[in-house]
Amino acid sequence: MTIHHHATDETLMRYAAGQLPAAPARVIDVHLSGCPACRARVEQFEALGGALLEQIEPAAMSPGAFAAVLRAIDATDEKITKTVSSLSSVGCARAPAMLPGGIGLPEALRDCEMGPWRWIGIGVRASVITLPEDSEARLMLLRVGAGRKLPEHGHFGTEFTQVLVGSFADEFGRYMPGDLSEMGHEIEHQPIVDQECECICLAALDGGMRLTGFFGRLIQPFVKL
Amino acid sequence: MNAFLEPARSEIANTSPSRRGALVTRLMQDGATPDGGELSDLIRRVADDQDRHAYARLYSYFAPRVTSFLRKSGLPANAAEEIAQEVMLVVWRKASYFDPEKAGVATWIFTIARNLRIDHSRRSRVATAAEATPVDNEEVAPSGEVLLLVAEREASVRAALGSLSEEQAAIVRLSFFSDKAHSEIAQELSLPLGTVKSRVRLALGRLRTLLEGQS
Ligand SMILES: [Zn+2]
Repeated sequence: MTIHHHATDETLMRYAAGQLPAAPARVIDVHLSGCPACRARVEQFEALGGALLEQIEPAAMSPGAFAAVLRAIDATDEKITKTVSSLSSVGCARAPAMLPGGIGLPEALRDCEMGPWRWIGIGVRASVITLPEDSEARLMLLRVGAGRKLPEHGHFGTEFTQVLVGSFADEFGRYMPGDLSEMGHEIEHQPIVDQECECICLAALDGGMRLTGFFGRLIQPFVKL
Repeated sequence: MNAFLEPARSEIANTSPSRRGALVTRLMQDGATPDGGELSDLIRRVADDQDRHAYARLYSYFAPRVTSFLRKSGLPANAAEEIAQEVMLVVWRKASYFDPEKAGVATWIFTIARNLRIDHSRRSRVATAAEATPVDNEEVAPSGEVLLLVAEREASVRAALGSLSEEQAAIVRLSFFSDKAHSEIAQELSLPLGTVKSRVRLALGRLRTLLEGQS
């Protein structure tokens, strides 16, 4: 799979720094799972984090801090051996949610709950993805019919769209499975789904407070914004 | 090995609180800034021998820095220290998971701090205690080549950071560590938002050029 559209450096840096909110971070997770180039960038930014950590002005710790950690070590050393067995029962068995066409949800979303597909406009359906780490995160799957042209729209906040199935094109190029479209709020674009088949995307917004764009209007009825 | 470990452990457990403080101080007074090779050696000693002297060295170097990082990312001082303590506990408990083929020690500890900070902010918002599981521990065949690559990455990132102008380094630091939106950073520096954005973009672009020039 050759990937033509990547995350921006700014986004990968925020991801590596832990600054990206949960929903966009999941979109990036999915992109990274198929993109060695962006994975390498994230590793570089993590190394940057390590370098910056070493250069940072050290803070003063409270007087008993180290002794407290040693006590905690003594206390947990015994506990660890006792609780190890119970850890294995944590993973819950749930059949992986399926996308149309029998394709499973991306590996990076296996621990998420996938809502039912709902009709939200002519040729457009959406499914809300619930994240275990943040129940309020706004992550969704969009399923847009072949040849559908979406109205031109801008956004408040950055819109992240990862193509899972099918393809679409806009002013910036053609997006195939594995590609990520990252649209800043200053950008207007008009995606058109290619004729051959429907397009399924994973989409999230970062920093959208007042959503009047197309995506925002789409999801408004399903997530309380 | 235990013969070496036990004295420190029982010495600490059996001393009075006042003497204990002196002992802790002694454990932590141990020379200058460690370099990358020394740091991974310290981690290995913690992993293999539960060596508390090595751990004290790691603690005195990293705990104040991790605390500082967490404060910069917006946590109040006491929460920052609390999480830094958790980070250092993870360093002790998961030392054997440290994989020099994936990252340097500072980078590894940075990612632990980052993950715990994310957990903390989500926990305080959603109140679900998703236990922080150890990062993946998949077994990969050891290879000198990979180790070399990691060392190169760590060195080249440091070199690139070093050759940024002070202003650009400051913008990188600020946007990396702070959870502030660019608009807030703009306000803080009394610069127009567009200027901050383009400075971040420029600094990252320069970082990328430097990194690519080296590889
Ligand atoms: Zn990519």
